[in-house]
Amino acid sequence: MNPAPLYAAVHVAEFPAQAILRLRPDLQAGPVVILDGSSPQESVCAFNTHARKRGVVAGMTRLEIEELGNIHILARARETEAAARSVLLEALSQFSPRIEETFAVNACSFVLDIAGSERLFGPSERFAQRLRDTISATGFRASISISSNFHTARIKCEFSRGISVIPIDRESAALASVPISALHLDVDYYETFALWGIGTLGELAALPEGEMIPRFGQHAHQWLALARGDADHTFQPLEEKFELKEHIEFETHIEQIDALLFIGANMIGNLVARASCRALSLASIHIEMSLERSLIYKRLIQPAIPSEDRKFLLKLLQLELAAHPPQAAVISLTLTADAGRQSKIQLGLFAPQTPEPSRLDVTLARLKAMVGSDRVGSPALLDSHCPGSFQMQDFSVINQPRQSQQIAAPRTSLRRIRPPHALAMRIDSGKPRVFRDGPSRYEVSVAYGPWQSSGSWWDVDRWDLEEWDVMATTSIGESISCLLVHDHLNNKWLLDAYYD
Amino acid sequence: MPSSATLRQQIETAFQHRYPSALTPSPKTIRDVFPTGIDRIDELLNGGIPVGAITELTGPASSGRTSIALSALAQRTHEGSVCAWIDARDSLDPESAASTGVALNHLLWVRCNERAKPDRSQPNGTRIAQSWTRLDQALRATDLLLQSGGFSAIVLDLADEAIEHGRRIPLATWFRYRQAADRTRCSLVVLGKAPYAQSSAAVVVECSPAAVNSVYGTVIGDFCYRVQRKRERFSPITSIDRKPPTSTWTAQTAWEAEKRA
Repeated sequence: MNPAPLYAAVHVAEFPAQAILRLRPDLQAGPVVILDGSSPQESVCAFNTHARKRGVVAGMTRLEIEELGNIHILARARETEAAARSVLLEALSQFSPRIEETFAVNACSFVLDIAGSERLFGPSERFAQRLRDTISATGFRASISISSNFHTARIKCEFSRGISVIPIDRESAALASVPISALHLDVDYYETFALWGIGTLGELAALPEGEMIPRFGQHAHQWLALARGDADHTFQPLEEKFELKEHIEFETHIEQIDALLFIGANMIGNLVARASCRALSLASIHIEMSLERSLIYKRLIQPAIPSEDRKFLLKLLQLELAAHPPQAAVISLTLTADAGRQSKIQLGLFAPQTPEPSRLDVTLARLKAMVGSDRVGSPALLDSHCPGSFQMQDFSVINQPRQSQQIAAPRTSLRRIRPPHALAMRIDSGKPRVFRDGPSRYEVSVAYGPWQSSGSWWDVDRWDLEEWDVMATTSIGESISCLLVHDHLNNKWLLDAYYD
Repeated sequence: MPSSATLRQQIETAFQHRYPSALTPSPKTIRDVFPTGIDRIDELLNGGIPVGAITELTGPASSGRTSIALSALAQRTHEGSVCAWIDARDSLDPESAASTGVALNHLLWVRCNERAKPDRSQPNGTRIAQSWTRLDQALRATDLLLQSGGFSAIVLDLADEAIEHGRRIPLATWFRYRQAADRTRCSLVVLGKAPYAQSSAAVVVECSPAAVNSVYGTVIGDFCYRVQRKRERFSPITSIDRKPPTSTWTAQTAWEAEKRA
């Protein structure tokens, strides 16, 4: 047996303003208007409550707004609105998988099919309250109405504030006070109804259908059904792709990283909240900024394990921006996250201690910011005979294979000198005899070599680099063992490494 | 007539507020150690490098400090532990480390950077390198890694730093390192030309070159080093130490080992 139909409509009015202000809590306490269009023909398309109290109405020009004084003016940001719409949709999807988007001017409206959800969320009043709390948590203020008729819920929601729960068979009464403009008719029809003295849906519903159809055609049947709250509707659910994305465009270009982080904190918080709703974590965050002079700045934050810790991710963002600051003022910021399922790792009972992955990420980011990102990591040897051939790899403690080979007997190690020091060398019988490294003078006691290390394979008699293993002592009896390099191309002797 | 034990108790009770347990020797702490992989040095250090404490390996160039440190790291990384090498002068040779047996994927290498900073005293803001920068970075990196925890051993490589620079490191820094190492059970091994940590160091080993021979008269090999234990705070032996504080050890080169194999 199918449950009785039940719909919950959500209407976020002044959506262009709300989409921006949810990411800008610093502006929420004052009057803000959003201007649409190109200069000088910009006009107000949305505004907040404070601006309404100051006398702002839709369609006012920039000049009129500036005359009112002390009103924050922002430009409409379509991408921010698209990102905000996704956020809202994501929040609603916690309550129902069947969501349909409805048309509304300068607003974002959805209708949820919540038939049969009473056992999950309780009665309609409680459902509406929970829905409203969830929407508030994402930074929106919305009106909600619940009805067994799709269009009744939609129309009531658009023309009322707060929560409206319409009982069955009370649809007509609930819509009685709604203005007739809710039907979105042509202007000619409105003029006719105005002549008749019909201004609300209640007055329209009272008209006899048999008299209406000969005058307006079959449209009148639909209008009356809408006004009486018994219009039929075929539900067309959205099939949205799950995307964790936040976008904001700034009205003034931002140069300070602190200001950027203030905005970024909110965006990361929203991404984490949305991922958490699906029991997911953030595996990586792609940062994209539009900079002045048409530059694009892209960075990637990738914690060792997916995380839902907002502070931790914000810290990584801060350290990433500190290590690689944008080279120009920031015009817009986009954060796109990849969701990951696993946010915890299984440790072994007898496994040796290792750094906590999240904490290690922050530590590594700090180290990279200090010494450079290419100078922190694990060395990995390359398959090459070239001396000093290695590359730095990202350091990780997760799933690192343990070394299986046995440890060798104690071995002497080299200490490289990067870059090698140039030496003043005196040669005797083709072998190094005395050299000077800065103020120190060394007398070579034994020299083994030369070992040809670089040259031309087609000419065995010509080698560019020769290595010598040398033991030398200073005048005060201090002895060293070192590796010297003779560069034939530049005719230089270099101190390459110590045996230590 | 009161016994000595009664007398001691009376004296301790009388001075309890000013000198708690004045006449009772404090219990000796027996520290965990991990072996360096070099038998002679493990004998000298009563088992190896102490866990959760600072160990200093001091000596001039070519005295075997790096070899000891890498050998110790090889033991730790072979167990699956994670270690770090903080390289003030960017002198670690990864090939030598791998040859010693260090699991490079368990080793975090921090290569301090000589970043040039604008010198306001120079005309046109000429950028000159600051010798203090590398050391400062190394100290800050050590602090970060010690505080983050989870590393079994951290090597702070100041082996090529001038002694006067090393001695300028404040004692408070070493004290902080000691506390952090103790808390996180991390062994901090400091390589230097001279001891810098003073009272914060648990063990100080002075290294010096002894002899170098050649293999078959053609290549360098058979390095012999002398080590002397200068300080050991947590020695479990309370009586007169019968072991000689000095020892020698030999190390092969990679090609020598291959040739013998």
